[in-house]
Amino acid sequence: MSASEQEIKNLIGKEYKQGFVTELETDTFLPGLDEAVILRLSKVKNEPEFMLEYRLKAFRHWQTMKSPEWAFVKFDPIDYQAISYYSAPKRKENGPKSLNEIDPQVLEAYKKLGIPLDEQERLAGVAVDAVFDSVSVATTFKGKLKEAGVIFCPISEALRDHPELIKQYLGSVVPHTDNFFAALNAAVFTDGSFVYIPKGVRCPMELSTYFRINAANTGQFERTLIIADEGGHVSYLEGCTAPMRDENQLHAAVVELIAMKDATIKYSTVQNWYPGDKEGKGGIYNFVTKRADCRGENSKVSWTQVETGSAITWKYPSCILTGDNSTGEFYSVALTNNYQQADTGTKMIHVGKNTSSTIVSKGISAGKAQNTYRGLVKVLKSAENARNYTQCDSLLIGDKCGAHTFPYVEVKQPSAQVEHEATTSKISEDQLFFCQQRGLSAEDAVSMIVNGFCKEVFRELPMEFAVEAQALLGLSLEGSVG
Amino acid sequence: MNTATATRYAVKYQAIASALPGQTLPWLQTLRAEALMAFSESGFPSPREEEWRYTNVSAIEKKLFSPSISLPAGSIDAQWLKSYQLQDAWVLVLVNGHFSAELSVLDDLPEAVSVMSMAEALAKQPDQVQKHLGLATAQSEHGFVAFNTAWFTDGLFVHVPAKQVLDRPIQLLHIVTDADIMSTTRNIIIVDEMAEAKVIEIFIGVYSATSSEIVADNAYLTAAVTEVYVGQNADLTLYKMQSESEKAYHFGGSYIKQARDARFTHHNFAFGGLLARSDIHADLDHASECELNGLYLGSKRQHIDNHTRINHLKPYAVSREVYKGVLDDRARGVFQGRVIVAIDAQQTDSQMNNRNLLLSDDAEADTKPQLEIYADDVKCGHGVTVGQLDEKSIFYLQSRGIDEETARNMLTFAFANEMVDKIKIKGLHDMVLEQVLTRFPQEGVNKEWL
Repeated sequence: MSASEQEIKNLIGKEYKQGFVTELETDTFLPGLDEAVILRLSKVKNEPEFMLEYRLKAFRHWQTMKSPEWAFVKFDPIDYQAISYYSAPKRKENGPKSLNEIDPQVLEAYKKLGIPLDEQERLAGVAVDAVFDSVSVATTFKGKLKEAGVIFCPISEALRDHPELIKQYLGSVVPHTDNFFAALNAAVFTDGSFVYIPKGVRCPMELSTYFRINAANTGQFERTLIIADEGGHVSYLEGCTAPMRDENQLHAAVVELIAMKDATIKYSTVQNWYPGDKEGKGGIYNFVTKRADCRGENSKVSWTQVETGSAITWKYPSCILTGDNSTGEFYSVALTNNYQQADTGTKMIHVGKNTSSTIVSKGISAGKAQNTYRGLVKVLKSAENARNYTQCDSLLIGDKCGAHTFPYVEVKQPSAQVEHEATTSKISEDQLFFCQQRGLSAEDAVSMIVNGFCKEVFRELPMEFAVEAQALLGLSLEGSVG
Repeated sequence: MNTATATRYAVKYQAIASALPGQTLPWLQTLRAEALMAFSESGFPSPREEEWRYTNVSAIEKKLFSPSISLPAGSIDAQWLKSYQLQDAWVLVLVNGHFSAELSVLDDLPEAVSVMSMAEALAKQPDQVQKHLGLATAQSEHGFVAFNTAWFTDGLFVHVPAKQVLDRPIQLLHIVTDADIMSTTRNIIIVDEMAEAKVIEIFIGVYSATSSEIVADNAYLTAAVTEVYVGQNADLTLYKMQSESEKAYHFGGSYIKQARDARFTHHNFAFGGLLARSDIHADLDHASECELNGLYLGSKRQHIDNHTRINHLKPYAVSREVYKGVLDDRARGVFQGRVIVAIDAQQTDSQMNNRNLLLSDDAEADTKPQLEIYADDVKCGHGVTVGQLDEKSIFYLQSRGIDEETARNMLTFAFANEMVDKIKIKGLHDMVLEQVLTRFPQEGVNKEWL
């Protein structure tokens, strides 16, 4: 028995591999935030006038707001004046035209992360937008996507090239008044990805953005906007890492998805920000607002997330099911170890008729970590025949961690069927014994059990990402997922 | 606004402050003064507080109910009262928050057992009361508890000594006779080591003493707090049936402390009141067992909130919780259930279940089950459903020649009756069943089926 406990301990104590720093010449703003900083930011990015107005409006609203305190996480107050709001690798005029013009150091960094920006590489089926600190440094396969009519570019580029789309959709799902971090993001967001899938187009390849925080004392405020027009179909992947530092860094992103009639958006995240060291020092504060609006009939949005990094994760990818027959899905694996804290879950707001939602959340808590599922299922009166199924399972590894489940269910429509189930357990001695008795080593047994525990979520991930997700989980629970 | 309310209520209560029981006990005076201070600061809870998220009690603040100074003069129709009085039980009756010796039946009590009014206990056993008053509520302080501590007029005091098994249940009857008044009562139930008891608490407010008529729509406020102490290996079953008048406001809190191996079972039937909230908070010790059952039926514009908390503080404890709700018309049912497993409480076994049936387009169910777990070797789960009757079951009954409406009523009734059937006391079972049948949203459930 104690032998297997030792095995488990070994499994969960592994180092963060993406913690390197890339030495670069950068353009970085001095720390501090006021209207002048926003003006400068907007100018550096060469944005249209309406965007600056939007930012200032958001900033003024943000100043009236207070940092929320309701989540099940503990952290010292953040000094927003001590953060630099813009940092970018120095570059030539007008930005790189091709991969050859990108700073080789940056390319090297991505290569090290296993995300080759070279289009001929292994992940050839995936178009990647690489965001390095505050700017997008490269987007691959632009030409091929253009042929299909798909727009996939950094949001700062979309602001210049497609202002009408931005004007129409930006802030329409997450308004700048939504919450403290969304307001801050609206004021200072620097880059992110923009995707537009025109009518009836099925995106020919997976789209992906890789976010990298590199510079110290900065925050990353990215903004992602994905629009799938009538009958459009897109699968989008997001990955993120950061260097190991003793200070906490803030990552406050906003993601907005809009699915029109018959459109489908699949959004997958493998979040692996630096989680802090074993004593809980350093790490990223991942305070993110993600929301999808299923506007059209028969639209569908599916969120899949694998959360292994960050000192604190605080996010609730949500679906507003406005269109009749629309579907929302949420599949999540959240793994916390050492002193990590996660307060994550989803909101499913049923507005249209015959809307359905599925929530599968798997929380794994190890070390001294706290892992919380918090979710809301709300069925409005208009949502006839709405259907929800929720399943939240927590797995505890170690006796000093915590796992919590806080679901909220609000139903105003009698024809709705809402189910919620939650369980909390640990890997039992019986299960381990059974596996070992059949000839598996303790490590393989734990691996198998954890893998089985997460299987429902992993099978929702796109092929390319499933590989990475398993590798990441392996990072935190050494090789236990295979 | 809250503070203003507190002041307004404080002014009202000054009139009876000198008549409250326990004037000669300095510790109680201090306790009341502290509670008054706490209430003045916080007022009644607001929906901004997480534990009161779905329940807005501002109507109580606006209404400004008056305390009843003493027992009402008019007599209560004994015949009417009988329908609520259990045979073969010790019965203590509180009218408008004051003990009525005339209506109570407390003969043949075993020698060492105390069943008396709180006022009497404060006079006869002040030490016992001092030891227990405010201990079980310590972790659940909010406006209503402070309000109750500051101004309780009377209540029930029960002390069952070690190894004493009571062969009859103790029944506490709360009757409120008039509109606009407030009944503020505090109970203490102590069951010592290896003793066993059953206590039934019933709230009714349909009878008017002054006009001798049955009045179903008096608007009044009940703010009752019960503190329960279950000793080592002791067994206590607490039944609560809340059948207040249609326009009444009800707050009833039960706060339980269980010792090692203690068993506690609670049955909560919430039927009446315009706005009714129950708190059931239990602290569990080593290997104690806790079972919470609840049924709430809401119709018209009723708002019924049940708030439970089970605190597993030590290893090996078991808790089971089942709450069912049937909501019709514009009624709103709220269930908030929280299970906390402390860091040392290994081998905890906890299950919670909440099921809601919505019968009309305007009914609403809000449910919030919570698991907060700090130990790793536990087995915890919860389940929630909100929905309609199973269409297949209805079809099955129809295929056997039963018309659809009857089939629906049968199934709805069966859904609720499962909780009623858990009552082990015949008289009480029939009384609760009667309440379910009269309050049943639709006609057509035939008593002969039962």
